Amino acid sequence: MKLVPIASALLAGACALAAAAAPARAHEFWLAPSTYHAAPGDSVQLRVYVGTGFRGELKPYATTRTIAWAAKTSRMEDLRSTTSNADEIFGRWRASDGGGALAAYESNFVTIQLPAPEFDAYLKLEGLDEPLAERAKLGARAGDGRERYARCPKTWIAGADSKRVTTPVGQSIEIVPATDPTRPGPLTVRVLFKGEPLAGALVRAWNQKLANGWTPQDGAARDSVGPVAHARTNDHGVATLALSGTGEWMVSAVHMVPSSDPRSADWESYWASLTFARVPGRK
Amino acid sequence: MIAPGGAGRRSRPGDSARWADRALAAVGLILATALGLLLPAAAGAHSQPYSFIDVRIDGGALHGRVTAHVVDLAHEALLPVPDSLLDAAFTRRNLAALEQVIDSHLQLEADGKPVRPRFGAFAVVPAKRSIGFEWTSDVREPVTLALKGPLFPYDPPHESYVNIYADGKLIHEDLLDHEHTAGAWGTGVRQTLGHVIRTFVLAGIHHIFIGPDHILFVVGLLLLGGSLMRLLKIVTAFTLAHTITLILATLRIVNPSPRIVEPAIALSIVTIGIETLIALHRRRDARARIAFGFGLVHGFGFASVLRDFGLPAGAMGWALGSFNLGVEVAQACIVLAVAPVFAWVRRKRPVIGDRLVTVTALIIIAAGACWFVQRLTAR
Repeated sequence: MKLVPIASALLAGACALAAAAAPARAHEFWLAPSTYHAAPGDSVQLRVYVGTGFRGELKPYATTRTIAWAAKTSRMEDLRSTTSNADEIFGRWRASDGGGALAAYESNFVTIQLPAPEFDAYLKLEGLDEPLAERAKLGARAGDGRERYARCPKTWIAGADSKRVTTPVGQSIEIVPATDPTRPGPLTVRVLFKGEPLAGALVRAWNQKLANGWTPQDGAARDSVGPVAHARTNDHGVATLALSGTGEWMVSAVHMVPSSDPRSADWESYWASLTFARVPGRK
Repeated sequence: MIAPGGAGRRSRPGDSARWADRALAAVGLILATALGLLLPAAAGAHSQPYSFIDVRIDGGALHGRVTAHVVDLAHEALLPVPDSLLDAAFTRRNLAALEQVIDSHLQLEADGKPVRPRFGAFAVVPAKRSIGFEWTSDVREPVTLALKGPLFPYDPPHESYVNIYADGKLIHEDLLDHEHTAGAWGTGVRQTLGHVIRTFVLAGIHHIFIGPDHILFVVGLLLLGGSLMRLLKIVTAFTLAHTITLILATLRIVNPSPRIVEPAIALSIVTIGIETLIALHRRRDARARIAFGFGLVHGFGFASVLRDFGLPAGAMGWALGSFNLGVEVAQACIVLAVAPVFAWVRRKRPVIGDRLVTVTALIIIAAGACWFVQRLTAR
């Protein structure tokens, strides 16, 4: 009987360890603003974290990795000029109205090669069934996992104009909420891949407590958590996640296709995330 | 019994059992945490696999700062506990070894010569679990800088952020990783015309001699020999063609993808090999036409090198011309080294000469075919 607490603790530790030991590639990549709500005149700093279980390490901005980095407000505001190479502040934005801002980043490809068992385990972990099935068909000929990946995170700094968050910005892969995600209740999202609905994608949601008000906790100084909701997109690319409660939220999806540049990789994956906050008392 | 956490609180039945359970759970958590801490360390992986290389030119003097993660420093300096480096006193005691690590990993060149850094102050950067090393050098007013990286290639995900400043202004930003392993930049320091010419002539020569594909193509053009006028015509056709596309691509008027250009260069090598075999038996000579046709393709290859090197604003024409001149000088060296040998053998021993040409052509075809497949499939 006394061994039960030890076993549970070891199990929890093992889960955290499994997450930590997951291939570097399987790490989520999300945008974290200094506040998830901005009144006119407020300044917001944007950071990027990379990690597992909605806990990560700061990722410095890399100028040469950036394809697009902008905030959608009443117009598109380029954020590239607000930061510089190696800056841990990924971008800076000042609210000119109360409508909110959808900050969206897209990276170019980064390549990685993983041993076959590790690569297959990661495909399974991320619910990437099609590449997994393709590799299973090839058997030993599938070889090591040669992949290149691109990151497409977004974050919603809440405001009165929900259209800013519910319309696509044109990322390669994009999670588009059907309604203002800061409102309580289930969240319906559309996943678009190169502008078209993506069917069969695994969409997952993570939740962390906010530090206070609309301010998130330090993404590096908190515990990892497991996803609290998940769903597969239907033929229209739509999935509904049973979200409940307040806090900082991350919704993510990943899609992998055969690489269009077989010289550098066999597969290419696209990682989407959308972060936002829900605070008490908001209807 | 006084329960922990509440001086004076009376114990209740079951408290001791609960505390025993909690203590056991704590033991489990400690074990799990220890396991968690030890395993990634054993695997050699660590978070934040970044280093930061700042290069500054202030008042003409070249200096900078390298910031490296304690895990990478400890790995390379064979120190067992990386976080011990967060203690400034410990770092100071091991400073010589750490500076040696940075010195041996920082592959920085100024105007084509290695920069030997002299290390000054260091700073512990706890937020990044890193140590920053300030360095100076004897280099004055460098016109070009080149850096190879990343700083710690033993760790595949490692990335080196590179920032170059001139008099406080950020002029170049780059990220070196396992794919993008070198950068070269102009510093904006005013350079003499002589310096531009020297730099780009050398770059042109260097590019030909480090590229076996260009060498083999030129060798292929020379196998059948011929009169001086004949060889001059062939080499001129090649030069004319690659000059056209070099200019067009450098000025970004035409900009084909390397995915097309690189396999096409390999194909040109196969073609010249086959053409040599055919010409050997049919006594025809289409080398000038082939040299011109594929010269256009090779020019795009040269352009990608030149673009990476960075053209100095205000002296672009001189730089382009000098690079091209360097390419011609290198080609002339190949012609002078190869053509007389083949001509001599074919004149003295025609049968052996033909066999030598055949074997060399076959080697050229095989090499070109290998590169073609390799570049097309990257396998």
